[in-house]
Amino acid sequence: MAVRANPNLIDELEHYGAHDASKCYQCGNCSAVCTHSVEPYVFPRKSMHYLQMGLERPLRSSLDPWLCYYCGECSEQCPRGAEPGETMMGLRRWLIAQYDFTGISRFLYRSGVNALLAVLLLALLTGLGFLAFGFLAGGGSLAVYDGAAAFLPAHYVHIFDWTMGITLALLLGINSVRMWHFTMHGEHEIPVPLSVYLRRVMLLPVHFFTQKKFKECKNQRPWALHLMLMLSYTTMLILIMFFLKFMQAGPQMNWYAHTFGYLASIGLVTTVTLAVSGRLKKDETYHRYSHESDWIFLALLLYVSITGILQHILHRAGLPMAANLTYVAHLMGVVPMLVLEVPFGKWSHLAYRPLAIYLARVRKDALAIQTRTIKTQSATTLGAPAPASPAV
Amino acid sequence: MSEPTMTGTEKNDKQPENARRRVGVYLLHAAGNQASAESCRSIAEYLTKELGVAVARTLAVSSLLDQAELARELQTAKLDTVVLASEHPGLYKAAFARAVGKAELRLVALGERVDAELEQAKAMVAAAVQGVPFRVPLESQPTSFNPATLVIGGGVAGIQAALEIAESGNKVYLLERTGTIGGRMAMFDKTFPTLDCAACILTPKMVAVGQSPNIELMVLSEVQEVTGSAGAFKVKVLKHATRIDASACVACGDCARFCPVSVASEFDMGIASRKGIFIPFPQAVPNAYMIDPAYCTWVQSGGKKCGACAKKCSKGAVHLDAQDETVEIEVGNIIVSTGYDMLDAGRIERYGYGKHPNVLTSLEFERLSNASGPTGGKIVLKTLQMNKRTKKEEWVFEPDGPKPKAVAIVHCVGSRDQNYNAYCSRVCCMYSLKFAHLVREKLPDAKCYEYYIDMRAFGKGYEEFHERIRGEGVSLVRGRSAQVEERDSQLYIKGEDVNSGHLIELPVDMVLLSVGLQPSHGAAELSEKLGIRLDGDGWFQESDYNGEPNSTGRKGIYLAGVCQGPKDIPDTVAQASAAAAHALRSIVGATHKQDEAGVPPVSAEKTASLSAQS
Repeated sequence: MAVRANPNLIDELEHYGAHDASKCYQCGNCSAVCTHSVEPYVFPRKSMHYLQMGLERPLRSSLDPWLCYYCGECSEQCPRGAEPGETMMGLRRWLIAQYDFTGISRFLYRSGVNALLAVLLLALLTGLGFLAFGFLAGGGSLAVYDGAAAFLPAHYVHIFDWTMGITLALLLGINSVRMWHFTMHGEHEIPVPLSVYLRRVMLLPVHFFTQKKFKECKNQRPWALHLMLMLSYTTMLILIMFFLKFMQAGPQMNWYAHTFGYLASIGLVTTVTLAVSGRLKKDETYHRYSHESDWIFLALLLYVSITGILQHILHRAGLPMAANLTYVAHLMGVVPMLVLEVPFGKWSHLAYRPLAIYLARVRKDALAIQTRTIKTQSATTLGAPAPASPAV
Repeated sequence: MSEPTMTGTEKNDKQPENARRRVGVYLLHAAGNQASAESCRSIAEYLTKELGVAVARTLAVSSLLDQAELARELQTAKLDTVVLASEHPGLYKAAFARAVGKAELRLVALGERVDAELEQAKAMVAAAVQGVPFRVPLESQPTSFNPATLVIGGGVAGIQAALEIAESGNKVYLLERTGTIGGRMAMFDKTFPTLDCAACILTPKMVAVGQSPNIELMVLSEVQEVTGSAGAFKVKVLKHATRIDASACVACGDCARFCPVSVASEFDMGIASRKGIFIPFPQAVPNAYMIDPAYCTWVQSGGKKCGACAKKCSKGAVHLDAQDETVEIEVGNIIVSTGYDMLDAGRIERYGYGKHPNVLTSLEFERLSNASGPTGGKIVLKTLQMNKRTKKEEWVFEPDGPKPKAVAIVHCVGSRDQNYNAYCSRVCCMYSLKFAHLVREKLPDAKCYEYYIDMRAFGKGYEEFHERIRGEGVSLVRGRSAQVEERDSQLYIKGEDVNSGHLIELPVDMVLLSVGLQPSHGAAELSEKLGIRLDGDGWFQESDYNGEPNSTGRKGIYLAGVCQGPKDIPDTVAQASAAAAHALRSIVGATHKQDEAGVPPVSAEKTASLSAQS
């Protein structure tokens, strides 16, 4: 039976930022220069071909795009300007939309206007919600920032944070399960023993925290910056989720918490500024093309970092009302950023990347087992005549 | 109207005349030629204002005219007479003749530079509009067309063109930058797809050039300045001194035996050496030695040292103090056949050319495989040898060197690649297959892998050649090889086998890079001197891709061979003969015209043709 092809796929991918895949003439140069392209995962040439042919199913079940870190080497050496690196980036966006069961991701990625409106709507709802909460259920007075009578008391915000956190984790979890299903039970499905899944499970935390695959790229600077961004953000997340009351208390400083807070803030602002200036300057191949979603993500991250720092300064400067208003403004960035980016946008790669590395390894092990089994079987079959002639 | 005193009656007298005969003028100019387009517009304006023609249109002409559209336009305008003015009206005559229907068609051949001769052009078109029944010489032609031809570049194209013209009894100056004619083809071992020995085809032609009384061969020569126009070009040529009297030299080689200087041989692409006094290769034409002043001890020391060659020459042919000279020649036509250079493979670092000694370019392999090359045609690996003179170790080819067990051939090196040359070099697929054949023929035990992207076997007999080589035990890998690496003194070639989707890495002993072609160095300067254009890739621009692939924008200057764009030997030779035909047409045409008594020497197409009026 023939595979169904979607001739519009390559046009569809234009919305996700892959503009030049049609120029590819299948020379395979990219697959050979990529340091991550190792048997049995040889890419990106094959993905370019699937895209040109409109082979949606093989593409959806491919882990290849997640094994690429977009160092740009393939695009630089591409004889046709087909931008394999950018195509893999576009494919990752498309895959995020494929994994997402709600369809929200597709809605956001296909149009920058959609994404922007969604951000603004969520920001507005968040702002109104927190103001209403502050006046009705919180401290009631904008003039109090910390303590039990605070406009937004820490323990209430804490409950909100955890509720939102669990909801988002659940959504991302469902999408991750879909990713597992597509990739392990899609095209070329092979039997995978549970023991293999268990044996490799440590790969998940290792690759989440070290991102050491990224380091294998020829240019190591992006890895260092990305790791710094990830660690800064994770630090901030831990501080907020577990130590919010120390952060909010004041005006005296809790140095145990705030030292980490300051380091994380410096890390966030530095990396985001470098990312923005890199994308503006376009000196590096991997910064040459920016999708609308990249800009929205960076803008949100920068906005959240700056308002976060500002409310902290205002609070310590003895301006509780200004601090409270900035806090609401800060939350107006945090909520859309997390709600839109974690399960439906760029940030979902925090789950998909380590998962892809893990699944790729599991699949490779399973393939090896399968090959061994076939060899043993054929050896037995070939060996069969031997006992049949015992007369000698 | 120019006369303000003109009365109404007079106007009325003219009106019926114009009303009776509706004249339409079509001024054709080359698309993209702004100066010409501007001139045509100004002629059109003049015609409408001053002569009251019904239609005066300018058309930017590409190779195709929409005939249906043209016919519709002409019918709607209800014209009685259509005047077609263009540089080459004859090219469009057929199209217009069909389109005009019953109307009368008159042709006007405008000059090559309408913008420079605007008034003359206006007068010519006006004459045609009014139906002036006499012939008008359109541009100041030289009174006699010089029958001599200059051919620039002595490769197979230049040789072929020179021979065609010389054999018709006309004079040819054949200019060559290096010390011998023969060009690239002289370096080749075999030709594809016939596997003929290249020298067996070329050498007789080279000898014929050397022996032709009509060909004046100028080696080590370069064009300095070109003035004049078709029929009467004046060309200044810088002749570098060979410092050897070619008529006295018998190419015995005594001089070279005593020459203390040894340098890499250009003819052997640097894989063998030559002396400071040398002959490029034994069959060189002219068959004489020459001195390379850049390395000659005598020249470099200002005549104080050495001079061994002059002392040893029994014929007294060596003139160490000979000087370069500039000569001026007069010709009617110029044929450009400057050929090509190979792209510098060292630019593509990942193939390791220049780093790994056994990564060779295609021309290096041609010399290695050639029986007249340094190993006598044996395909061997380079080995590290002590150079006794310099006391340094060098990688050199020795006839008894080790034989490669596996050879990889990489297609499209620097071709079809927007980082280098975006165009296809057209010959590499076939010469790569030829290499594979040579490897398998000379080393039947050696493996041979070809990395290709698309196999371009488009010529006569090429596909059959491709099939033949496939059947000779060559492994063809579909995919561009990405890199060559050396580990533990073993070369590895890596690439994706696109057909299987697997990355493969193969241990090989020798890698041949099928390097693409690029315009010969100096082509840009030459184009300026000749006043002809280059295309976007730096090849000489033909005046019409389909219709005039030999002509340039200038009359009397024609193109032959790869200098116009990559092509194989049969196409090069065919184009060279065609260029010779162009030159001969003008020579013979001019002679023919001079025979007609009393008529100025103007070619037929240069005349405002007013057939029906006379």
